[in-house]
Amino acid sequence: MSIPAIAVTGLHKSFGANAVLRGIDLKAQDGDVISLIGASGSGKSTFLRCIPMLEVPDSGIVAVGEHVIEPRGGILSRRDKVTARTIRSELGFVFQGFNLWPHRTVLENVIEAPIHVQGRPRAECVEEAEALLDKVGLSDKRDAWPVHLSGGQQQRVAIARALAQHPRALLFDEPTSALDPELVGEVLKVIRSLAEEGRTMLIVTHEMGFAREVSSRTVFLHQGLIEEDGHPDQVFGNPVSDRCRAFVSGHFQRNR
Amino acid sequence: MDFDWALLGFGPEGWGMVLIRAGGMTLVVSICAFMLGLVLGTLCAWARIAGSRWVQRLAIGYTVVLRGVPDLLVIYLFYFGGRQVVAAVGTALGFEGPFDISGFVAGVLAIGLISGAAQSEVLRGAYYAVPTGTIEAGRVVGMGRLTLFRRVIAPQALTTAIPAMGNQWQSVIKETALISVTGLVETMRQVSIAAGSTQEHFMFYLAGAVIFLIITSLSDIVFRIAERRSLRGHQQGHA
Repeated sequence: MSIPAIAVTGLHKSFGANAVLRGIDLKAQDGDVISLIGASGSGKSTFLRCIPMLEVPDSGIVAVGEHVIEPRGGILSRRDKVTARTIRSELGFVFQGFNLWPHRTVLENVIEAPIHVQGRPRAECVEEAEALLDKVGLSDKRDAWPVHLSGGQQQRVAIARALAQHPRALLFDEPTSALDPELVGEVLKVIRSLAEEGRTMLIVTHEMGFAREVSSRTVFLHQGLIEEDGHPDQVFGNPVSDRCRAFVSGHFQRNR
Repeated sequence: MDFDWALLGFGPEGWGMVLIRAGGMTLVVSICAFMLGLVLGTLCAWARIAGSRWVQRLAIGYTVVLRGVPDLLVIYLFYFGGRQVVAAVGTALGFEGPFDISGFVAGVLAIGLISGAAQSEVLRGAYYAVPTGTIEAGRVVGMGRLTLFRRVIAPQALTTAIPAMGNQWQSVIKETALISVTGLVETMRQVSIAAGSTQEHFMFYLAGAVIFLIITSLSDIVFRIAERRSLRGHQQGHA
């Protein structure tokens, strides 16, 4: 088998006395769309943030393609820091709170990393950014400032920004949780189209219907451990773990 | 009260040209002191944000001392005290006297140090006002520290800092009047010379006030333009 896009082994992370991740193993092959579900505090966002080292794990191994980081005691060595930057530029990360750069226009947000991190020629980046904005349905907002956009539009810009780096995989950290309900659909539609393109994605989400529909695999986290891992039909339809069953049925009942 | 306007003119009796030159000196001293303050303030803010414990303490000590001591005392310290130090060092190195330190240098050093302490607080506050999410977004695309600072942190922090930096500049301009005690012929010194020799106190101090007001209001306009330009994208309303 080829090298997985993302391989995480034995990931531990505590904040003070609070053990948030207690030994997580997860492999994502190219083309996998993995949804991560679980109650608040189950560690799913922390797990996602550990992959690009936004949180440095206490122990464990994170590999993106052939780039491997093995932090010890929550500290990155000098070499790990270099690898972390490589890993980051191979991933696209979409935040819950969008985190667009407010001092740059929509287009400037999208071309920022390709030009200033990857050092690609500006003309090429602009052309590509325009195509990406078209893809997320925002070509008319090219020169707008982020503050003038709705949350849904900002999140779509953030997705275009993540795509602009030609990432090997995309990580979504609750991409619709900060949105007004009527704006959730437009963002999910974009993510769905990316899944259909065969992009490798890890999606932390509370949108159960969406997770079931788009993912090729669903992982249920409970108290920092993976408790259920399988095809969405199985995880949502016939989970082995009782806790997963309770979580899933609770969610679908609430949303009915 | 009759004003003899010719005293403010450019004729043989007039102080006009002299006053303009003094105003120019005020401006030059202010710019030098403010720039020195900007350099010191940036270093000090950086030291307090990212320095080791000892560097942080040093920076805190600097701000505490210079914000807690009268400005006039700092100027005297640099001018008279500085002279003494230069003389002592010069003698020790075997140079021949007499030793002197110019009012300009002492004044710029003193005001620059005072302003640096205040500017460091402004810059530090502006740094902390940058939304952490935007910094995280920069890190996650693989920016190094320098790129992150240049492309994400500095532009946003400057926007926050500009109005307060405008205030710092205004107070530097006003503080330069204190340098007159060293004999440096800037606006304050010049108007008091003129007032003394003509006995037209009211007129000349009023003229001095006008010179300061011209400089401060022009700066105000410059800072307002800078603020408006830097606010692109930060305000609701028209883009």
